[in-house]
Amino acid sequence: MPSEIITLQLGQCGNQIGFEFWKRLCLEHGISPDGVLEDFATDGQDRKDVFFYQADDNHYIPRAVLLDLEPRVINNIMTSPYAKLYNQENVYLSKHGGGAGNNWASGFSQGEKVQEEVFDILDREADGSDSLEGFVLCHSIAGGTGSGMGSYVLERLSDRFPKKLIQTYSVFPNQDEISDVVVQPYNSILTLKRLTKCADSVVVLDNTALNRIATERLHIQTPTFTQINNLVSTIMSLSTTTLRYPSYMNNNLIGLTASLIPTPQLHFLMTGYTPLITDYETKTNVRKTTVLDVMRRLLQPKNMMVSATADKQNRHCFISILNIIQGEVDPSQVHKSLQRIRERKLANFIPWGPASIQVALPRSSPYVQSAHKVSGLMLANHTGISALFKRALAQYDKLKKRNAFLDNFRRESMFKDDLTELDLARETVDCLVQEYEAATQIDYPQWSPGIEASKAG
Amino acid sequence: MSQEKIGADGARMSSELAEILSDLCICIQGKQSPEVHELALARAAQCLAANPGNFCNSIALTERECVQKIMKLLNAREDVDGTNAASMFYAIYRKFLLIRVDPYLRHSLMSYLLSMADKSVDFSSENGDGSSLTSASDNLRQVLSSRLNSGTFRSSTNGSSLAYTANQNGNGVAKGGVYSYDATQSSIGLGQQPLPNYLSTIEAQKNPEVRQDIVTNAIYSFTGVQGKYLKKDVVSGRFKLDPMNIKALTTGQAGMLLRLSELGYYHDRVAKFADVSTGFNAMGCMGQALISKLKEELTDYHGQVSILHDEMNRYRRAQLSRNAGKTGELGGGTELTLFKLLAWYIKPLHRLQWLTKIADACQMKKGGDLASTVYDFLDNGNSMVNELVVQLLTSICGPLVRMISKWMLEGDIADLYGEFFVESLSEVGADRLWHDKFRLRMSMLPKFMPLDLADKILKTGKCINFLREICEMQELVKSRDQLKKTMDNNVSHIFSYVPDTSWHAAVETSYQQTSKHVLDIMIGPHKLLNHLQGMRRYLLLGQGDFVSILIENMKEELERKGVDIYAHDLSGMLDAALRCTNAQYDDPDILNHLDVVVQRPFPGDNGWDIISLRYIVHGPLATMLEPTMPVYKALFKPLWRMKHMEFVLSMKIWKEQMGNAKTLRMMKSEIGKASHRLQLFTSEIMHFIHQMQYYVLFEVIECNWVELQKKMQQATTLDDILDAHEKFLRTITLGCFINTMSDTEQHLETVYMNIIELEKWQSLFYKDCFKELEARQDLVKMVEKSELEGSYGLTTEHILQRDHESKIFAEKVETASRGLEVIASAYEKAVSGFLLNLNSSQDPNLQLFGTRLDFNEYYKKRDTNLSKPLTFEHMRMSNVFSLNNRNCPNSRFVIHSPATKE
Repeated sequence: MPSEIITLQLGQCGNQIGFEFWKRLCLEHGISPDGVLEDFATDGQDRKDVFFYQADDNHYIPRAVLLDLEPRVINNIMTSPYAKLYNQENVYLSKHGGGAGNNWASGFSQGEKVQEEVFDILDREADGSDSLEGFVLCHSIAGGTGSGMGSYVLERLSDRFPKKLIQTYSVFPNQDEISDVVVQPYNSILTLKRLTKCADSVVVLDNTALNRIATERLHIQTPTFTQINNLVSTIMSLSTTTLRYPSYMNNNLIGLTASLIPTPQLHFLMTGYTPLITDYETKTNVRKTTVLDVMRRLLQPKNMMVSATADKQNRHCFISILNIIQGEVDPSQVHKSLQRIRERKLANFIPWGPASIQVALPRSSPYVQSAHKVSGLMLANHTGISALFKRALAQYDKLKKRNAFLDNFRRESMFKDDLTELDLARETVDCLVQEYEAATQIDYPQWSPGIEASKAG
Repeated sequence: MSQEKIGADGARMSSELAEILSDLCICIQGKQSPEVHELALARAAQCLAANPGNFCNSIALTERECVQKIMKLLNAREDVDGTNAASMFYAIYRKFLLIRVDPYLRHSLMSYLLSMADKSVDFSSENGDGSSLTSASDNLRQVLSSRLNSGTFRSSTNGSSLAYTANQNGNGVAKGGVYSYDATQSSIGLGQQPLPNYLSTIEAQKNPEVRQDIVTNAIYSFTGVQGKYLKKDVVSGRFKLDPMNIKALTTGQAGMLLRLSELGYYHDRVAKFADVSTGFNAMGCMGQALISKLKEELTDYHGQVSILHDEMNRYRRAQLSRNAGKTGELGGGTELTLFKLLAWYIKPLHRLQWLTKIADACQMKKGGDLASTVYDFLDNGNSMVNELVVQLLTSICGPLVRMISKWMLEGDIADLYGEFFVESLSEVGADRLWHDKFRLRMSMLPKFMPLDLADKILKTGKCINFLREICEMQELVKSRDQLKKTMDNNVSHIFSYVPDTSWHAAVETSYQQTSKHVLDIMIGPHKLLNHLQGMRRYLLLGQGDFVSILIENMKEELERKGVDIYAHDLSGMLDAALRCTNAQYDDPDILNHLDVVVQRPFPGDNGWDIISLRYIVHGPLATMLEPTMPVYKALFKPLWRMKHMEFVLSMKIWKEQMGNAKTLRMMKSEIGKASHRLQLFTSEIMHFIHQMQYYVLFEVIECNWVELQKKMQQATTLDDILDAHEKFLRTITLGCFINTMSDTEQHLETVYMNIIELEKWQSLFYKDCFKELEARQDLVKMVEKSELEGSYGLTTEHILQRDHESKIFAEKVETASRGLEVIASAYEKAVSGFLLNLNSSQDPNLQLFGTRLDFNEYYKKRDTNLSKPLTFEHMRMSNVFSLNNRNCPNSRFVIHSPATKE
């Protein structure tokens, strides 16, 4: 089957959002929780084979690999109605089940230990596909398993499948609340380094923004994980609609991401979604939804799934935008809206190259009823995302200055001798921030990525 | 005028005048019998009595010339009595001049005398003429002044007979009408003067036998038969009075006879038009219908004439029996007189005149042309004419209506004479039946047939032919007999002013039914819509996943040299692509039509250039869609090229960059700058290609496709669909920048060329990079190895060599960077040109596309020219420019600007 995508779910968070994602895909494709195609969905014109394959008995099985070092979430999944959906062989649980203890270093080294088993699964999946297009990795950057083991798997993946695209959906920790994971800044920086170096595209899911959206926009006082994850799964499914409902354009992951990412490092994408609804509140928050409304709202910072979006005064700007708009869209409205956005300068673009809003209008699933006429997802490459990294750096610096909580790290082989890896990671992230900063300037084409490279070399 | 003076002078003058006239006549004619003399006198007097206004301008010679000519003629004569006639004439003329007569009258008298002088040798033989004239004038004056109002009846009798004499004379002095004479005017003219009344001296013939004869003659003439008094002129075909018998007639009779004989003339004309052998008739079936109608009219007319005959014969018999003695009985009707005939003849004359007029217009015409000609006469306020034309038109349209019903119900053309407005081109084969085989013959399209109706008729028959020949279906239109009856029996409805008759309804019904039938068959069993959808999906690359997989499958073939490609390898790949993409859900019927073709390669072509997709259509579909296939072929090319570019950009250039960026990270310091430039340049091109694709695939194709689908759903006939489809293709052809004749295409091609260049450049660049990387890694390995061996470090030689190599590499990178700049600047120039074209275009869609390509005004800031098209000054200038070029076929903007509305 063509252009397949293998999904890896790592850690507690990764498995949770992955689970929601698959739930959502099943719903959209009319696949029952045990993998059987529903009767009403037999004549669908959708493309299921990107994310699913059919077993001998015609059951649809997700191309998903579930990895965790502790059994809780995976056990939950395996006791849910969707248990039968997954290929049991693709579920890897660490034997001792102790988890990574929210320690990146522990996750990383455990990843190293279990790599053979993990890559057996991945190789098998990769061999099972006709022309594998790439991997999608779901994880959080703050914990232990998702960040540590995720980082390890990322490194191995890019070595092993250098020609395949690696995309991650990375959940960034909520900055508004005090995390119970004290080493979170270390974890983040170390993971960010791998995300910068090994991934081809990273869809940033910022818990800060997600929580804010949930409380402010959806009026949920204390949003649960499920509600947040629901939001995430919506974004994930929507960002893959052009692959699953192919039409004239953007039908493969590379085509989709290539236009968004100009240079190998600037590959952190932020998302925006409107209108926002969850299962708990189907009542519309937004009254009128036209294409222009959707596009305008997508450009509003409050609808962004990243808390770093810049206000208008600052110099941050969009490198590229892809709007995926679903629903009853009058084609002529699209370019009218674009024109309007341009006239009103609703979006700030880079000064050093051509940039514009791309629009994709995929069909939507006939099996999921939307309360809205039009809904849209924005995938954007925005230099403002560097604020997120800056914040991570600041937190890291705060902690590192005191060399606090490093004992657990020192226990692992990587940090046994020294903590250079931490410094290197910081360097990489700093360099990334610099590049994003540079990308706001008109002389970006003349910018050279100096310092960090020489050290790395 | 003259009469006032004459009246004042009284009898003295009149007698003097009479004397002079008499002398003049004698002088010219010599001594004649008193009868002749009287006649000549009467005529001469008439000349003086007539209204000068009638003829003063029509005499060719002046008075002086007349006198001179007379003198000349008289001089030429032998002297009869020893006296010279000329000198005598001149003496009398001098005397005449003394009398104050109106110079015009004198002039006319002189010209008459001239004709007399010229003629006097054999004048005696023409006595009858003269006597008939005098008596006619006398008679007419009496009759007409009593019966008719002044001026209504101007007799042409005198005129025509005199014209005859004048013609005989050959000097052309007098023409018909010169002497035409108005009785009422003469009654207030000289006739009231106490001139000697020569006119009354001649008694009209009173013989009843003669009168009967004249009437009979008149009736004969009605049917074009010559008689004793009326003969036909060989040249004009009109009747004229027989000079032999003219003297038996009074002037009045002569005049009436001549007038009545007009009817005969028109009868002859109509009869001539009705006679096929003359070759001047209308032609073809419809012409024959006209002829038979004319004949019918003639028969009617003959019937009427024969009633007259009857009446007269009855009267004659009655007369005979009365003459035999039974004077008391007056059976057998009244006597037919010329007056009665005059009263009778108006109506038939009118009818025959119109028939002549119409038949005359119809000469050598046929078919629809003929019908149009006759139709022109329909607009007549005269109800008789109107009715007549309706009758004629009805009979003319009979064959036409039958042709139409045969065509519409059976699809046959029974048209021996090429009269039908539908034409079948026999040399066009069945494969082009739908588009080319049948067409309207505009010259044969009757005026009363609106073009859309004609079109419907054409299409109906075409549909039937299509069903029968292409779909091999024999069933006929429902309730066909009834429709046929309605059509054939309501001939006159065809030219009704308002197309709401039962005939029109029947045509409409049969059109609706037939086209519905065809539509149902095409959409149903032949899946026309699905095929259109299929072509949109596969030929116009609407099925994106299929195209990318196809390209992925064929990528090696596509990059191979043209000569090494074989079609059979490719069809397997096509099938594979169809199987594994969403195309698999499509109807296999549709997919079977899809084929991959390899064109004959030109030197230098690779797979991309020669491999293309084709949609094969058979049977009825081919008939419908074959003409659009070249358009699809033309459309496929740029679309394919665009996909090619996208493929090169994202699957090769971008992907390679992403992958290599990781691998070559350690060489960042050396190649960082170059690859940074490369990446940004790539993203710039990527932006362009994506916007371009979006514009073409979405805004042009998809939007128009949505439109087309709407139309297809609303379509009631097949032609609606095909027309909409054709329009769709036309629009997207324009939208895809095909054959726009502008340099837009060229700029686009340059952009594409530079993408290919970039790919080549990049692969060379990375090759060098990897070579260098390998060399460094080798060095590291060597160091490690030597470490193991215990001989630490490198030899100077190695270091030097390495340094040299890295220097070469640095130079290479430098050169490559320059090469990249060359490509980049060429690219940028092309894009600027392209944008300039878009911005200065009149088509708002293209302008919008232009602004979207440069959404953040990057190019505009770099190239000041680009902002110009948006200024008012430029708009104004370009408007002037486009006005000047309005007639230029290349300016597509002018032609299409109304069509492109947003």
